[in-house]
Amino acid sequence: MRRHGVFLLLMLAGLALGGVYPALAGDYYIGVGLTLLMWIALTQSWTVLSGMTGYISLGHAVFFGLGAYVMVLGWSAKLPLLVTIPLAGLVAGLLALLVGAPCLRVRGPYFVILTFGLAEFVKYVVVSVEAGLGKAGRLLFATPSLETLFYIMLVLAAAAVALCYGVRRSRFGAGLRAIREDETAAETLGIPVTRFKLTAYVLSAIIPGMVGAVMMLRSTYFEPLQVFNPITSFTIVSMAIIGGSDDAPGPLLGAIFLVVLSELLWANAPELYMVILGALLVVFVLFLPEGLWGRIQKLWRRRQAA
Amino acid sequence: MSALLQVEGLSKRFGGVQALNDVSFEVAEGEILGLMGANGAGKTTAFSLIAGNQRPSAGSIHLDGQRIDGLRPDRVSQLGIARTFQIVRPFGGMTVLENVTVAALYGRRRISGFTEAEALAREVLAEAHLADRAELPAASLTLAGRKRLEVARALATDPRILLLDEVLAGLTASEVAEALEIVREIHQRRGLTLVVIEHVMRALMRLCGRIVVLHHGQKIAEGPPQQVAEDPVVIEAYFGAAPA
Repeated sequence: MRRHGVFLLLMLAGLALGGVYPALAGDYYIGVGLTLLMWIALTQSWTVLSGMTGYISLGHAVFFGLGAYVMVLGWSAKLPLLVTIPLAGLVAGLLALLVGAPCLRVRGPYFVILTFGLAEFVKYVVVSVEAGLGKAGRLLFATPSLETLFYIMLVLAAAAVALCYGVRRSRFGAGLRAIREDETAAETLGIPVTRFKLTAYVLSAIIPGMVGAVMMLRSTYFEPLQVFNPITSFTIVSMAIIGGSDDAPGPLLGAIFLVVLSELLWANAPELYMVILGALLVVFVLFLPEGLWGRIQKLWRRRQAA
Repeated sequence: MSALLQVEGLSKRFGGVQALNDVSFEVAEGEILGLMGANGAGKTTAFSLIAGNQRPSAGSIHLDGQRIDGLRPDRVSQLGIARTFQIVRPFGGMTVLENVTVAALYGRRRISGFTEAEALAREVLAEAHLADRAELPAASLTLAGRKRLEVARALATDPRILLLDEVLAGLTASEVAEALEIVREIHQRRGLTLVVIEHVMRALMRLCGRIVVLHHGQKIAEGPPQQVAEDPVVIEAYFGAAPA
C-alpha cells in the first residue's frame, strides 16, 4: 500500500479538485474541464495498448464514435444512463475483440494504417445505416446537466488513469512492455503474446466507448462524420507523444498541455491554431522524443546522480 | 535410456531451401550436447524448431515423453525449454534487471509477485556476472554483456533444457574464457541440460560430452568430441576432400 501512497494521494487530490470545480467555475470553464477530462480518459486508455505494446493505434476514434452511436440508440430507447454508458463500453470492447485478432498480426506502420482504415470503414458503415434509415442527423433532448456530465467524466478519467497506472505496474504490464521491446524474445520467454496484445486492445477500447457515450450527451446532435472524426485519433496520438512515456503521468501531462494550449490559441490566435499545433508536434518528435514526462524523469535522475 | 529431449526425423523447408533434412538426436538429462556445423548447416533452425519459433515441415520433438513440436513458443517455454538468440535480442528500453525479471515472471516458473521475481533475477544476474550492471539500461551493455544477458534471461525462466546459440561468437579471448566459465558453473551448480551451438571449436571440444555435426541440413556425425574431430566425413565437410 505504501508503494502506491503517492499515487493514491494524488488521485484523491485530483478527485477532490474535480469534485469542487463545477461549484467554482462558470459554464464555460466547466465545459473546458469536461473536455480536459475527456482527453485524459482517452489518452490514458490509448496508452494501455499503444504506449505499452508499441502497437500504435491511429483509430481510437472508432471506439469513441461507436460509444456515441450506442448512446443515441439507448437514449431513443429510453434506457437509463447506468445501462447505456456501460453498454457503450461493452460494445467498444467487443469491436476491439472482434477486429483485434486479425489487426494485431501486423506491426509497425501496417498496424497504424489498418487501425486508421478500420475506423474510417466503421464510420461509413454507420453513415450508410443512418442514411438507409432515412436519418439525417439525430437530436437528443432533455440530456443531463453539464455538471452531471462533468462528474461522470471525472469518474471515467480517474478510472482510465488508475487502469494505466495499474497495468504499468502489473505482471501483465511487464509482459506488454517486453512485447514492445522484442516480440520474438518475449514469446520465447513464455509470454502469451497474442492473448496479451488482444487483452490490451480490448482494455484500451472500453473507456473510450463510454467517453463517446457521455460526449454524445454533451453535443446532443448526432452526426456520424462528427463523432467518428479521425481528428480525435490524431489528437490522442499527439497528446501521447507530447506527454511521452508508457506510464500515467505522461499522457496526463500531454492532455493538460494540449488542452490549455488550444484554449489559449483559440482565444488569441485562432487562425494560427493548426499551424502552431503542427509545428509543436514536429518539435517534440525531433527534439524531445521522450516527451514531457520522459524529460522530467531524465532531469530528475541527473539531479539525483549529481 | 531416458532421453530428456528426443528429436526424430526433423525437417524444415523454406521454399526451395531444405534447411534441415531428417535429423534425429537425443539429449540425456544433465548432459551437454554440442551442435556443430558450418554456416547454413541448420543449427539455428534446429533451435527455432525445438523452441517453437518455427514449425517443422516434418518430424517430431518430445520433451520428457511429451510431444512439443508445433506448440507456440510461450507454451514450449512454460514446459521448460529456453533458448538464447545468436543475434541478441535484449529488451533495450528496460534495465538489465527488468529484462531478467520479466523472464522470471513468465517462463516455467511463472512467479506472480514482483518482489520474488526480482530477487530471483538478482540471483541469476550474479550467476551471469552481471550483478553490478543490474540497474543499467540493457541497450548500454557491450556485446559480451548482451550475450550474458541472453543467458541470464533464459536461465530466469527456470528451464529444464537450455539451448545456447553461439554465446561465445564475436567475443575477445578473455571474454570467451569468462563466458565459458559461466556456462560451466551453470551446468555444475544446476545440473542443467545444455545444447550448445558454437563455432569456437576448442571451446566446444572441452565443454561437451557429445557432439552432433550438421552439414547442409543433414546429420553427418555424432559422438564424443575426439571421435568427431577425427571423423573423415566431418573433416571433408569442413576442409574439403583429403588429397588423394
